[in-house]
Amino acid sequence: MDEEEYQKMIKRCVRCSVCKWIPQVQIKSQKYASGCPAIDIYNYHPYSGGGKIILALAYEMGRIKPSEELRDIVYKCTVCGNCAVACKYMSTLEPIEIMMKLREKLVDTGCGPMPQQKTYIEAVKKVNNPYNEPHEKRMDWIPDDIHLDPKAKVLYYVGCTSSYRRKEMAIAAARIMNEAGISFNVLQEDEFCCGSPILRTGDSNTFEEILNKNLDIIESKGIETVVFSCAGCYDTFKVDYPLSRKYDFKVKHTVELFDELIESGQLKLTNNVPITVTYHDPCHLGRNAERYEDWDGDVVPLMPLISINIPPKPKRTGSKGIYDAPRNILKKIPGLKFVEMERIQEYAYCCGAGAGVKSAFPEMAIKTAKIRIEEAEDSGADILVSACPFCSTNLQDGIMDKNSKLKYFDISELILMALGLEPEKLKQATAEVA
Amino acid sequence: MLEKEILKEFQDIVGVENIDDGEVMTNAYAYNWCIEFVNYMEDKEPIPFSPIPKAVILPSSTEEVQKVVQLCNKYRIKFKAQSTGLGPWNQPSTDNSVILDLRRMNKIVKIDVKNLYAVVEPYVSGAQLQAETMKYGLNIHMPGAGPMASTLASHTSMAGPGFTSPQTGYSARNVLGTEWVLPTGEILRLGSFGLKNEPDWYSGDGPGPSLRGIMRGWVGTKSGLGVFTRVATKLFPYPCGTEYVLKGHSPIYDFKIPDFIRAYVVDCKNFKHLEKSFIRIEEEEIALICSHMSSYAVMAIFSYTLESLMDKIAFGSMKSPLVIVIAARTKREFDYKQKVMDYLMKELNLINIIGTKYEPESLFYAECLRTNLGYHGFIATGGFQSAKGQCDSAALCLRAEMKNKPLKQKYIEKGVIANDFGEGAWMTSYESGHFFHMEAPTFFDQTNVESVKGMGEYMEESNQMDLLKHLGVPFFIEGDHLHNHWGPHLMNYHNWLRKIKKIFDPNGVSDSGFYISGNEGDV
Repeated sequence: MDEEEYQKMIKRCVRCSVCKWIPQVQIKSQKYASGCPAIDIYNYHPYSGGGKIILALAYEMGRIKPSEELRDIVYKCTVCGNCAVACKYMSTLEPIEIMMKLREKLVDTGCGPMPQQKTYIEAVKKVNNPYNEPHEKRMDWIPDDIHLDPKAKVLYYVGCTSSYRRKEMAIAAARIMNEAGISFNVLQEDEFCCGSPILRTGDSNTFEEILNKNLDIIESKGIETVVFSCAGCYDTFKVDYPLSRKYDFKVKHTVELFDELIESGQLKLTNNVPITVTYHDPCHLGRNAERYEDWDGDVVPLMPLISINIPPKPKRTGSKGIYDAPRNILKKIPGLKFVEMERIQEYAYCCGAGAGVKSAFPEMAIKTAKIRIEEAEDSGADILVSACPFCSTNLQDGIMDKNSKLKYFDISELILMALGLEPEKLKQATAEVA
Repeated sequence: MLEKEILKEFQDIVGVENIDDGEVMTNAYAYNWCIEFVNYMEDKEPIPFSPIPKAVILPSSTEEVQKVVQLCNKYRIKFKAQSTGLGPWNQPSTDNSVILDLRRMNKIVKIDVKNLYAVVEPYVSGAQLQAETMKYGLNIHMPGAGPMASTLASHTSMAGPGFTSPQTGYSARNVLGTEWVLPTGEILRLGSFGLKNEPDWYSGDGPGPSLRGIMRGWVGTKSGLGVFTRVATKLFPYPCGTEYVLKGHSPIYDFKIPDFIRAYVVDCKNFKHLEKSFIRIEEEEIALICSHMSSYAVMAIFSYTLESLMDKIAFGSMKSPLVIVIAARTKREFDYKQKVMDYLMKELNLINIIGTKYEPESLFYAECLRTNLGYHGFIATGGFQSAKGQCDSAALCLRAEMKNKPLKQKYIEKGVIANDFGEGAWMTSYESGHFFHMEAPTFFDQTNVESVKGMGEYMEESNQMDLLKHLGVPFFIEGDHLHNHWGPHLMNYHNWLRKIKKIFDPNGVSDSGFYISGNEGDV
């Protein structure tokens, strides 16, 4: 969103509060009608998507100044995008883009991001990951029996969280690709942070440097397809990178790849996995994974006060996220019973970890996770599954904190079970403590 | 900001985290939809911000509300309560005020299936309550503002007409027992909830004289007479099967249309025939929805973007459209209603566009059932408000519409409000034609100062016309200035209203910016 569009759009909120809920027509109960973790936890209107539009306007009008009060409200948001889905059911407002622009402005004034986020941004600059782990240990997750092909045209971009914190996801993804006979490689010492945790805090300049570095490396290797098991990296490459720089390679999340491999018969799920599972749509893989479509049309005045876009301007409504692939996989696992939660797909409730919230506001992250876990419990499932290392960490933290009987697995771990991999290999792939 | 000692006293009531007097928070609560032209009409700068409250308070119970109100009396600070908070009526009229955001009071207290009522706190939205009552095969009334609006606020503090008004009446008329924190801090329980022995919520009147009229006034007191903390509302049979399945993705969900529901869009060609058709259809008591609207509005309710609205330009030629939806719970009931409609179509010489020239998305039916049609009004310009509103006979409502048409056209030609290709009115019956509601939805651009000013001037002229042409009291006669202007023409009602206000609110702390003050010029 450019500055001109931003200045116009921040005047248009009608304070209807639909941004606080899932789309109105989708509400099926009082308990699960809400869609916004920030407003659920902090209650005051400015925490909602519309509230942040008001803050943006008040800021531009000079009614409020950069302050800790403003910063805390603006950063207590996981940028999950539910507000945008609910608002754009009918409207053309972009609450998330406005909020991100406001974060950029706070960074420009030195007010943002949060101190904890500044720390991890420095870590990325220093050791290429937000966890401040040594760069040389980035590939330590790779077991000896994983086969990598240095000549492969498929690149598995592991990401910081799977490399250092959720190794079971990286191992599972690699094993499954080996099992399916996919020739792939990893970037080894040339893999760095994708920049997502930095971008979401509003530090767009640092992000720009990172994306250029990453694209230079990948393009220099003649890669045709980049595969991600991290929804955050996938979203960043798929949606955010092209806004600054186009590239020619394809991007795929592992759930898309595995769904194709199962469909084509390259992966055969034969082992019985008799569990009841519900699936949590990660925001990065769901509603936020919808690309911006190029639009080169005209705004044509139709009559006084009314202009239309010719041709119609594509609207990101969250409808083009990756929703079917993970569900297809789960439904094809023998013996597995799949049940849905009430809030799913483009109106799924966030896990609570995103956009720097886990580091800056851990209490908000846990509270949100517990809300989602309760919804998963209410679905009747005994296993909660997702496809994102951030969701994995936060939901497991929430399960522990809530003392829930629910168990969490990454979807790739269930595929491993269905492939009937040997128990010791599965053992190697179990989650480490977050 | 509040003085430290006063802040501390409020904190002691609601907890430190539930009161905020920071610059950012209080500025955010000064914003609302349509405040820009309200400001203009009050000779202020046409910006979308009202006076900034001293603090925002989030009480969680009636007891906390009571204590907050008592403290406001002690320090003579005005309070303004809001629930879901849509519209200028939620805004303080002075900076010597606090806002009570009732968001934490969000319980459905009771759904009494046998006696057909539900009891809710302020921050239960229409969609939430309907979703729960549907589980018992029951429905609620929702205002045209939409399913995201507070059921309690619509019932106690506004009028609340809606698309299903032929069947479900209107909010203010559906109020049963009520719990009300008066401006003095006393708690008043209205209707059967006020009984000493076995209080319950089933009746809004008695024992003793009913106070519902005082509570409601003409179209609600808009927090000008205390805070309503719980209300019982009537429930109705859900109009069709309650299986509610939406597939696909936003915004065009694929709705599994219930077996027994059907829409009709007809053009009555002229006002005279519209009145006859409207009354005849309502006489038969079969309609879930029976709304007259401009041809633009007909295009809008079937559209999800401005561009897709333009695809329906064929509807733009309709002169006096009527949108009717019938729904039934059994085949026998549905057959009967369809038969009656077939008969009426012949009798009235009407042709249904639905099924002949146009087939709506299945989602249209979900939006009818969830009362989400009003929200489509924002598609054109983003800004939308009803310039006037009447609640009377079909004849008077239509007369108001006819008289308003040239006035509206004048402002359309000035280019300050958008062209809606027609009468520019929305009209529905209440309770199958017992009486009618009319308002004049108008599309303006809130980012365009000339449009904002034009909207304000149009509203003023429209109100004035109602007075001169004897068209009844418009909906938006609010605040001292307008009441003082209208009162002398209507049996000095404003003096009575002012007495009520003074008795109920001797310290004048319940913000009267959208009601009336006890002392003229107090606000």
